[in-house]
Amino acid sequence: MQHRRGALLVALALALSGVFATVVPQPAQALTTEKATARPNEDGGDGVIGGMDTRLTWEGTVEPGEEVTSVTLTLPEGSTFEGSTTRITALEGLKRMDVTGEAVPSGSSITVSFDQAIPEGSLLRLEITNMQFPSAGGECTVTGTYEAAGATHELAPSDPISTIANTPLQSMVNWLDEQPWVEAWNSNQFLGMFLKPQLLLTSFASLAPGWLLCLGIVVAAYPFAIAIGLVFAMLKISRWRVVRAVAVTYINVLRGTPLFLQIYIMFFGLPMLNINIDNNLLGIIVVAINSSAYLAEIFRAGIQSIPQGQYEAASSLGMNYVQTMLTVILPQTVRRVIPTVTSDFITAFKDTSLLSSVGVMELMMFSKNLTTVTGNITPYVAAGIFYLIVTLPLIKVVSVIEENIARSERGAGPRPKRRAQIADNADELVGQAAKKDGVAAEVSAVAAPTASLAPASAKEVATDVC
Amino acid sequence: MKLSCRVAGSLAVACALAVTISGCGGGGQGDVPAATEPAGEAAYTLVEDGQITVASDLANAPLDFVDETTGEPQGFEVDLIYAVADRLGLECEYLPAMKFDTIVPLIEQGGKADVGVSNITITDARAEQVDFTEPYLDSNQGLVTRADAAATTEEALNAEGTKIAVQAGTTGASWVEENLPNAEVVALDDPVVAVTGVQTGLYAAAVADLPVMQYLCSNSFTDCQVAIEIPTGEQYGIAVSKDNPGLTKAIDGAIDELEADGTIAELEQKWFGAEL
Repeated sequence: MQHRRGALLVALALALSGVFATVVPQPAQALTTEKATARPNEDGGDGVIGGMDTRLTWEGTVEPGEEVTSVTLTLPEGSTFEGSTTRITALEGLKRMDVTGEAVPSGSSITVSFDQAIPEGSLLRLEITNMQFPSAGGECTVTGTYEAAGATHELAPSDPISTIANTPLQSMVNWLDEQPWVEAWNSNQFLGMFLKPQLLLTSFASLAPGWLLCLGIVVAAYPFAIAIGLVFAMLKISRWRVVRAVAVTYINVLRGTPLFLQIYIMFFGLPMLNINIDNNLLGIIVVAINSSAYLAEIFRAGIQSIPQGQYEAASSLGMNYVQTMLTVILPQTVRRVIPTVTSDFITAFKDTSLLSSVGVMELMMFSKNLTTVTGNITPYVAAGIFYLIVTLPLIKVVSVIEENIARSERGAGPRPKRRAQIADNADELVGQAAKKDGVAAEVSAVAAPTASLAPASAKEVATDVC
Repeated sequence: MKLSCRVAGSLAVACALAVTISGCGGGGQGDVPAATEPAGEAAYTLVEDGQITVASDLANAPLDFVDETTGEPQGFEVDLIYAVADRLGLECEYLPAMKFDTIVPLIEQGGKADVGVSNITITDARAEQVDFTEPYLDSNQGLVTRADAAATTEEALNAEGTKIAVQAGTTGASWVEENLPNAEVVALDDPVVAVTGVQTGLYAAAVADLPVMQYLCSNSFTDCQVAIEIPTGEQYGIAVSKDNPGLTKAIDGAIDELEADGTIAELEQKWFGAEL
């Protein structure tokens, strides 16, 4: 009933406006279109996709001496307002007026009639939620009519809203939406909140740039961190007290304060000193400086783990301190610290997440934005998976290297183990052999078979003893 | 029993309400007959018996923020929800501050907090997730730049490479997305961080609720200004789980009373220096 009335009204309005438009080519506008915008509805993107629910916001100003009682908005063919809800806001300056009304959708038009006329000078905003643009996408201009003082007038067309057709990713998401197993999965509150398949899919697609930035930051920062760390490690084991003090201060302050704080100081402090550095570059710098302090300690420990005897040996060969360091100590240190450095790399990679707090567009930032839009935790889980893609192989690498080092420090492969076993019961075997030898000496003439019974081990022991 | 006794002392409407809550006729001598309200309609469940548990980001002075010296929540909304709880004969307990974008999902899921009071604008999209009480305050958006900024108009700010800071998940964030599509939206945890970034020159502008921006610019960030007052005419409502319609109704009733007896006007005077 209401629907039919709405349709009739629209038809009437259109007919009237058509007549009016032909009679008065450029009518004075009583309701000036200010703007029309649409809320981006691309999952993990900022496009407005046709054929999917979104929100249209239309704004217009009522000119002096006029009052508006109803507005009809029309979108290109293929749009639909069916099932939409409309929020009416009328403002005088910043003050909100009490205006309610009724919205009647009809195909690609919607007519909003107000229970009281919108007075002159006010700003009228219509927010229409859950409407759809044409599925083909394209530039959509909002046209329409309005009623003022009993007559219907044409609305000035809005600036076009750019919409796009469905993306392949979005169609996959829409396909998932229809699957019964997905629905069953999501109906479990935990699974639906943390592992929603549709969101997992869009998260992977839209988090990728953030993941690359994370990797980029830490990979770019690390060579610098290693270089700075090595310098401070050398300074810390220096002979001069002042130099040591500088290194100790640097290392302890950086290791003793949260990275979060360091990020804040760098990001908010430097611009105040009129030093403006690109956010990503600043991120690299912060990570490099922070890691360098940890690496300095790792290198210092590595260097000091090399036995004193090596220094003495080197100096007995006539090497000076620099030569000793470069050719004897550091090469051994490198091998020893690789596992710890790799672990620190993993930590640094994860710590890039803190940069999201200052607006670096990295993994967590993307997840946060997605979570914001969707009200779902799944993007964070997707971010976790992205972190694992890097960290799990590295963790494996660390354990392989550690095993290799352990093996080489023991000596070599399994051979020494067998030898050790033999050495353990060597005494026993030697004793047995001696007894046998004694017996053999007594009955040497008839002992040919016994001697042949004396196993090869006796021979081996004999050689060992030799 | 304690519940109904306490409520019996307050206004007649509250009496009727309490009667229907507790299902006890003892306190209902008021002139609003209890029978006009269908029994059970105002019945509600609470996370903790006898207290309203409130979720808020506590980062939007002067609406909801933390007192620096005591660490206690304070602000217009804090006073309001305490007054509402008082009307309902309940205690009021604030959860630790949480991120704004997690509040609506938290209320939707239930089990942690009864109400979300964090200058949440009533929008149709949010209304699909949670119920809202009737609006308790009208608001607008404000765009803050440095006082000496060159770009202070929508046209100037809608440029490639311009960074606009917002609080994640707010109506301010979606306003920037829709109206400044060329600018880069930086979603942060709270408006204070956003304005701090504007002050230090990290972002060109920040957009958040106008009362908050006005407060920040006149109290803490005096070298920033509200460059654009964006008329949005939005309204704040208290978010309540859809499974708890009785609580929404009870709070609505309490807000009506506070409106009628001038408490809300008093609070507006106290926190904004004027009735809004």
